[in-house]
Amino acid sequence: MNFSIFLQILWTGIAVSSYVVLFSVAFSLILKVVKIWNFAQAGLMCIAFYAMYVGFNYWALPKPLSFLLGYLLTLGASWLLHHFGIEKLRQRNSTSLTFFIFTLVLSEMMTYVFALAFGTEPLSLTKSIMSPVHMVGGIVISEWDIQALAMTSVVLVLLHVFMNRTKLGQFMSAAADNPSLARLYGINVPRLHVYAFAVAALLMTLGMYLFGQKVSMIPNTPLQMMLFAVIATLLGGMGNVFGAAWAAVALSLLQALSIFVIPSQWQSLILYVFLFVTILFFPQGFSVQKLMAWIGGKKA
Amino acid sequence: MEYIISVLVLMGIYVILSTSFNLIIGYGGLISIAHPIFFAIGAYTTGVIAIHWDLFAPLTLLIAVAVAVIFSLMLSLPSLRISGDYLLITSIGFQLGLLEVIKHLGWTGGASGLGNIPNIIDGANRSEMFALISIGLACLVFLMIRWLLKGPYGLLISAMRDDEVAFSAMGRNAMAIKLVIFAIGSGCAGLAGGLYAYYYQYVSPEQFEILQSSMILTMVVVGGMGSQWGPVVGAVLLLFLPQAIGFMNFPPSVMGPLQGLIYSVLVIAFLFLRPQGLTFSLKKGSQ
Repeated sequence: MNFSIFLQILWTGIAVSSYVVLFSVAFSLILKVVKIWNFAQAGLMCIAFYAMYVGFNYWALPKPLSFLLGYLLTLGASWLLHHFGIEKLRQRNSTSLTFFIFTLVLSEMMTYVFALAFGTEPLSLTKSIMSPVHMVGGIVISEWDIQALAMTSVVLVLLHVFMNRTKLGQFMSAAADNPSLARLYGINVPRLHVYAFAVAALLMTLGMYLFGQKVSMIPNTPLQMMLFAVIATLLGGMGNVFGAAWAAVALSLLQALSIFVIPSQWQSLILYVFLFVTILFFPQGFSVQKLMAWIGGKKA
Repeated sequence: MEYIISVLVLMGIYVILSTSFNLIIGYGGLISIAHPIFFAIGAYTTGVIAIHWDLFAPLTLLIAVAVAVIFSLMLSLPSLRISGDYLLITSIGFQLGLLEVIKHLGWTGGASGLGNIPNIIDGANRSEMFALISIGLACLVFLMIRWLLKGPYGLLISAMRDDEVAFSAMGRNAMAIKLVIFAIGSGCAGLAGGLYAYYYQYVSPEQFEILQSSMILTMVVVGGMGSQWGPVVGAVLLLFLPQAIGFMNFPPSVMGPLQGLIYSVLVIAFLFLRPQGLTFSLKKGSQ
């Protein structure tokens, strides 16, 4: 194995994991705070992408304004989803299956709407998905890689500060841990759900902004990407937002590096194997301590 | 006329799929949406056997059912000890993972699909014959499931679904019942797959993706989950309704998404306006 090829794949794997991390964190945040598996995220991701696409390509808006347009529309759609969908179903004490059907079908509906509006030809945010590159120690580093990693890191640090250092973030965690007790303390739980959706919308929009400059997509693409977010969320541990981020990085790297041991066409299968192993053996998430305890138990 | 007959063939296939899916999700309370993968396994088994060996068609269909049952055990044996959301996610992973395998195997035709499946009914009345067989098999599956649910085993299924803890506390084996329900439902999906492969003489992995799960789920939800006639009504309605736009001569690039849009809007409307499904009042009347 050539070491520089290994480093190149490692670097590209880390860079590409940036948008996957953002999608996984958004999914995990909604699961933690709102307590639903929000498969409608794929539809919201579509809205973010196509809004930015229209802003950038049709209206010739600068990138920041296109991003803002994408965020505002995703935010609006998230509010509608929460207010007229999730809250209504919750008031009826709907089962988790109903939430699943609703969120999944809503995503599909968005997919069809965008397929009708924009067709099924792959589209990217920018005319070219090629980014200028630099050679650093024999590794090709593109400007997109640097932008993606920098933006994702900054957003995750800000999210960490928000969740742990601000009153609103702590209220969110409190409402996630025990909504009934949070209500007793006067916390407006449905409003916190809206805030969680607002944060998730920002993460999704940023993710699609990065993704759309790197890869072309069709309306169905976000739905296919959701499985990655689901697996990262499970692997990171239910309710552990930053655990999902680490899991997403680990999964991306594993998928990228697997090329050394298995043919490239089977790379995507690794995700499904992980999904199975995670749910069957680590349903509460994966941690090194648990793994060691499990191995210790087997030895004993 | 040919077009209507082909819709009738599909109707029979989807009645089998939705009725058997209703057994799993509506009666068994097992939240799995991997039904299309057993449909796919039946279709591929039939296709591969028909291409490589000249077996008697009913025997091929029986093998398709058996293979679907074996694969259902591969999913249910390890994963039925978990439930709810986890089972749902596992079932999605199982479905998409197996499709990924199918897409990369040479003998399944890979991503471009398996074609040239031999025709088993020649002549001018081919479609009519298939429509008869399809509807006949759909009736058979419906009656078999009805018989199962009306009998003592049906009572056990209802008891397990309503309170699994109490059911197990009485010394009953809930896991065994879940396995049987899953196997029967999946076997029926395999039968539908076999019929599909014989009729269309072509199968491809993309026909069994998550959108197919959504379509079968839609039929069950719109018709009425946990009702015996619900999935039948749902399948008939959802197959005939989008045909209304079939006469508008839209190009395929518009027709596909438009039909999908109709399905998804219908499901969402039913979830909010009539979550109990269309056959609810009929059920109430019969109780």
